[in-house]
Parts: sequence; structure tokens; C-alpha cells
Amino acid sequence: MEDRNVSRVRPGMSEVVIGCVMPYIHDPKDRDAVSLVCRRWYELDALTRKHVTIALCYTASPDRLRRRFRHLESLKLKGKPRAAMFNLIPEDWGGYVTPWMNEIAESFNCLKSLHFRRMIVRDSDLELLAQSRGRVLQALKLDKCSGFSTDGLLHIGRSCRSLKTLFMEESSISNRGGEWLHELAVNNMVLETLNFYMTDLVVSFEDLELIARNCRSLVSVKVSDCEILGLLRFFCAAPALEEFCGGSFNEQPDNYSCVSLPPKLCRLGLTYMGKIEMPIVFPCAPLLKKLDLLYALLDTEDHCMLIQRSPNLEILETRDVIGDRGLEVLARSCKRLKRLRIERGADEQGMEDEEGVVSQRGLIALAQGCLELEYLAVYVTDITNASLEYIGKYSKNLCDFRLVLLDREESITDLPLDNGVRDLLRGCEKLKRFALYLRPGGLTDVGLSYVGQYSKNIRWMLLGYVGESDTGLLDFSRGCPSLQKLEMRGCCFSERALAAAVLQLTSLRYLWVQGYKATSATGCDLLAMARPFWNIELIPSRRVVVADQLEGAVLVEHPAHILAYYSLAGPRTDFPDTVIPLDPEESLVT
Amino acid sequence: MSRTTVELDFFGMEKESSSSSSSSSKSQFQKFLDRQRSFRGIQSAISKINPEVLKSVIASAANQGSEACNAIPSKNAVSVPSSPVLPVYTPPIVRPSSENLPDTAPLTIFYNGTVSVFDVPQEKAENILKLAVEGTSDPKVAVPSSDQQQLLDTLSCGIADLPIARRKSLQRFLEKRKERLTCISPYACYT
Repeated sequence: MEDRNVSRVRPGMSEVVIGCVMPYIHDPKDRDAVSLVCRRWYELDALTRKHVTIALCYTASPDRLRRRFRHLESLKLKGKPRAAMFNLIPEDWGGYVTPWMNEIAESFNCLKSLHFRRMIVRDSDLELLAQSRGRVLQALKLDKCSGFSTDGLLHIGRSCRSLKTLFMEESSISNRGGEWLHELAVNNMVLETLNFYMTDLVVSFEDLELIARNCRSLVSVKVSDCEILGLLRFFCAAPALEEFCGGSFNEQPDNYSCVSLPPKLCRLGLTYMGKIEMPIVFPCAPLLKKLDLLYALLDTEDHCMLIQRSPNLEILETRDVIGDRGLEVLARSCKRLKRLRIERGADEQGMEDEEGVVSQRGLIALAQGCLELEYLAVYVTDITNASLEYIGKYSKNLCDFRLVLLDREESITDLPLDNGVRDLLRGCEKLKRFALYLRPGGLTDVGLSYVGQYSKNIRWMLLGYVGESDTGLLDFSRGCPSLQKLEMRGCCFSERALAAAVLQLTSLRYLWVQGYKATSATGCDLLAMARPFWNIELIPSRRVVVADQLEGAVLVEHPAHILAYYSLAGPRTDFPDTVIPLDPEESLVT
Repeated sequence: MSRTTVELDFFGMEKESSSSSSSSSKSQFQKFLDRQRSFRGIQSAISKINPEVLKSVIASAANQGSEACNAIPSKNAVSVPSSPVLPVYTPPIVRPSSENLPDTAPLTIFYNGTVSVFDVPQEKAENILKLAVEGTSDPKVAVPSSDQQQLLDTLSCGIADLPIARRKSLQRFLEKRKERLTCISPYACYT
């Protein structure tokens, strides 16, 4: 830390030094610290910071961003709450890109990389982007976005000749034709990453082949469901390809024996791949670092066969059809495993393998076998305290742990999980993200207080059906010194307790709750947490008619949500009907 | 949406025919929605309630309900001391939606094989819940405090059973997979 007297004696020296050092400081927390040292350092940081992530777009305004960071090169904005990925948030909730795009078009002259996550994007926004920044744009990520069509993409395809990354995974895009890809193929020679995985876009095989031919640096391609047999020429045209996901297997299984995947492929996921087609993966299995089986049609035995052949696996994503047996094979074969995500398969009888359940048995094997694990997200059918203890004992590199206890079994071997959770949190000291979704009786108030007590570094938590009473929540909130973002679902806490907890959580800047004890008709008990810069919003309970395959029209109850967050931009000005701000001043008057 | 009250007697406990409910001009879809609203969520909550408490709740709902009611003794109804017997509603006239009472919502109560739906405004519903929690003045129907709390918890928090939400991407995949399996020809599933 520079002494003020020294800097007066030798003005500019410290500035020269810090001016040389500053460009090498990238970590956002370091930058945050640097900007707080003194006014000059704040200014230098503002001039030189390359990337900013705004975790919720309503926490700041576009012009505030411009005033502070006008030379920004890369921006990431997030809109809708995470719960939107689970169909819990109304589609028109908000998170519009338009005001930001307008500012970007006008002021951010150095911006090369844009990432919008869970936001609403319009074709007009894409057109504006293409017109104003098209020539310099290098990366565009429309991540789980909605509101645009292939017409908007046409502008991108035509104008963005420098685009290296076009990412649209899981976005809801209206399909009005495939010309956008043709335009991109014809105008772009530098594309490295093309991703429209999990979208409904339909493209021609010829355009894919053309892109592969024109862009010699193409390393990652993830496509929607298009027939694999139509991609053979594309595979031949992309010998440098390292990552491929998507496709579809619609022909007779025997027809696929001729498929040969690019030789350098090390990240792979083939949609609807079944047992019979699986051998096409065997030649590249030893090279595989990442395997996506979320949308494959494999059973437990298939998983065992494939995993055994993939000793270099670092990332595996699959459904719980992998089973405990598959996890045991994984623990034996894949010593380099860093990230494991096990999603929930179908509930209906006969849709998944009978063996396809994950329990304490699989977790214990995994903890002992895969010591380099950094990320573990798993849906389990059964659980014990001991298995969590094993994770605490062996998974010392764990930064992100998420456990959901499914409701398939009525009785669980070993509940409550108080001691196991405590042991896991104490053992996994690097944990920054933590999710625990149980059921009534899954975690007592004591267990919940352990969570508060032993979560020193945790910044994000999702808690579902934990605790027994307000006492548990209040004890919990006395801990969690680093907790910035808290999501809760199906908990029994009262509005008063929620408000009190918020005021006790010293680092909290974002709260989302669905399912709580509503003690006041208008949510006024929540106003106990009213404070400057703290926006409180309610999504009142709704009943939504949803089309269901089996039952026709189904009425789904959506209990109320609370969303609260710090903001420098004041309350939103673009609320839909489904979202209501809680204004302390208004409540005083009425 | 019309707000006529309907009594659904599934176990044929009433001598009266159920023709009154079928003569309502509600559409099939409307009845379907009412049924859904009646059953989902509230059912499991109600099943946990002390029957004594429930009797007094129904009694007070009968008193405070906004519709005229005919108290017709049912064969198997259990009588509650110092309160009327289970009410039976027959929708007298089908009301057009313009005559809806302001801000009322259905309060559905399952009891002893019958289902009653009361159209009550917000404060009255809250009063009924409070009454159930506080218990009645009659010592015979005094409610232990844990039951009181449970009643308030389950009825007022409205989250009786929040199903574990599925991720959109997985949901989509599982639906598509089902479609593929029901297709006879593999070529027909081609998108």
C-alpha cells in the first residue's frame, strides 16, 4: 500500500509501477480490492479492466457501467433467476437485453465479447449489434436466452466476420430458416466455436460442411438434433475438431458402423445414442476428456462398458441411469475425474434401467476413487450420513457440491443428515458453492445451524426442505460469512424469520425463495428487511394451465416467490403483471 | 370465471341426486379445473388435521359462508356439539360472472367422504384458519398446540407439496424420448 507522503515526494512513480502491474491483474476479487485502495487506483482499474460480470442485470444501469468502464472488452450479463431453468419463472419476468445493447452500440468501442445468460433478446437487438459492433465482435454467447429468431441470426451471420465464438446453447429460438448458417459459412473464416445445442434450429448439412471447410480453426461444434449419417462429410471436413455434441440416430442401428469421428475428438456427446450405436465411440474413448451422456439412451451396463474404456475422463455428465455400479466403475477407471454431474432420469416405470439409481453406495466409491473431484452434482434415491462423511474425508478439492434427494422412496436409510452435512462441510474446505435439497425431516434445525457454522467460503447456496423452524434459519444466518447468493425452496420459515436472516447474513446481496410461511396477505412482514439499495420483489402465487402429454390440460400451482437484491439502479421500471415490487413507502401509506 | 359453489358427493352419502351439480352451466373444462384445485395440495394437508378441529372449522365455514345453505342431515355425518351439522350446498341459480362476489376464492374441505367447496373472501378464509388454530371455546374440542401449528403451517403456507422441479433441458429430452418410443417407424420420428 502506497504511503501518501511518499507519493507526494515522488509523484508518478507509484503510478508507473501500478500502471505496469495492473494489466496483469485479472481476478475480479483482486480488481475489486485494487479499486478500493485510493481514488487513483480506482481510476486506473476503471481504465484497464477488461471484463465485467453483472450477476443480475437489474443491479446496475447501462450508463453507470459506461461511466466507470468505458474501455470494457468483455461483458457478461445475467437476467432471470436460476429457477427459470426449471420452468418456475414466468417467461416475461424480464431481463431484457435492449437497454444494454443500445448502450453498447453507442459507447463501448472496445467491446469484443458479449455473454447474455437467461435474458430476453430481440431480433432488433441482434441487428443493432451487427450494425454497430459486427466488424469487431469476436464472441457472442446467447446462453439460455429467448425472444429472438433466425432472422436476428441472419444479421450476425452477414456482418460478424471476426466472430470466433457463436454460442446459443439451450436458447429458445424461432426457426424461420437456415440461411443464417449459410451466411456465416460464406462470410467467416475464423470461427472456432459454433454451438446451437439443445435448440430447435434446423440447418443444412452442406452449410455445416462449408463452415468446416472455410474455418480451419473450428475446434468445437455442438448442434441440434440432426441425423448423424448426414454429418459424415462434415466430420471429414473438420479434422481439427476436438468437441462435438448433438446429432441424432434415426436410422437402423446397423447403418452406423461406418461412422468415423474426427481423430482429435476429446469432448463428445451424441444425442439418442443407444447400445447398438455406442461402439462408434470406442475408437476415441481413450482420448475422451469430456463425455456428455445426458441425452443418450444407454443403460447401466452400457455406461460401465463405455466408462471403462475412458480412463482420461475429466468431465462426465449423465443421468442417474449410471447407477451405483456405474459409479463404482467410474471410481476404478477415471482417476482424473474433475467434474461429475448426475441428472434425474425419468420417473415412470420401465423408462430407465432398474439398476439406474444412485445412492450412498455409489457416492462412497466415488469419493474414495476420484480424489481430484472439484464439482459434484447428483440426484440420489437414498443417502446416509456416512457417505457424506466420506466425501468430506476424501474429496479435498471439492469447490461445488450439489445433492438432491429424490422422492422416489418413501423411507430413506439414514435421516436426518445433520452429522454427514457437518462432516462434509468441515472436510471440504475449498467449497464455494453448495446445494442441498432434501425433504421434511432431512435436516433438523441443528443440522441447519451446522451449515451456517461450517460454510466459511461458500458464496452460493440452494437449500430445499431443510430445517424445522425459524430457529434453524436464524442460527444458520448467524454464520455463512461469505454467502452472497441464497436460494431456498419448500422451507417452513416465516416472513419475519426470512427478513431477520437477511439482515444477519453479512455478505448477502441476492435472495430467492419459493415456498415459505406467508404470514401476511401482502408480504408486509418482509418489509423488516427493507433498507437502502435493497429491492424486494414478489411473484405472487399463480395457477398455470400447462399442456401435459398424458392428461391434456393440467393445472399447476406455483407458490409465491420472493426475490430481493442490492441494486444501484433503484427499482425496476419494466415489471410484468406477474411481478410486484414491495415498496416500504407505499406500505406505510396504505 | 363463474364462482358457483358445488358440492361433490362421491360416496353417494346424500339421498339427493347429484343432478343439481350437473345442471350447472359450467363447462367441462371449468369443472375439471375446480376438481384439480380441490384435490391438489390441499388433500394431503387436510388429512393431517385433527378431526375435532376440522369439525369446528367446517361448522364455522357453514356459518360464515356467503351462500345460503341448507343444512340437511347426512346419514353418516358426525354431529358436532353446539354447531350445525355438515352443510350441503345446492347451487340455487347459476350466476353469470358479472354477479361474482368481489375477491372470493374457493375454500375446499374434505370431510368424512364428502367434499365441500365454499366461496369465501380472503378475510373470512383467514378467520376460519385462525379459528381452527385457536380452537373453539368448548374444552372438548381443545386442540393441542402442535396440531394448531401444523394446521396453520399446512394451510397457510400453500406449499403442501412442492414437487421437485425438473430442469427444462431434461424435461424436453424425456418428452422427446417418449415420442420416439411411441413412433412405430424410426423414419416417422425424424424432425
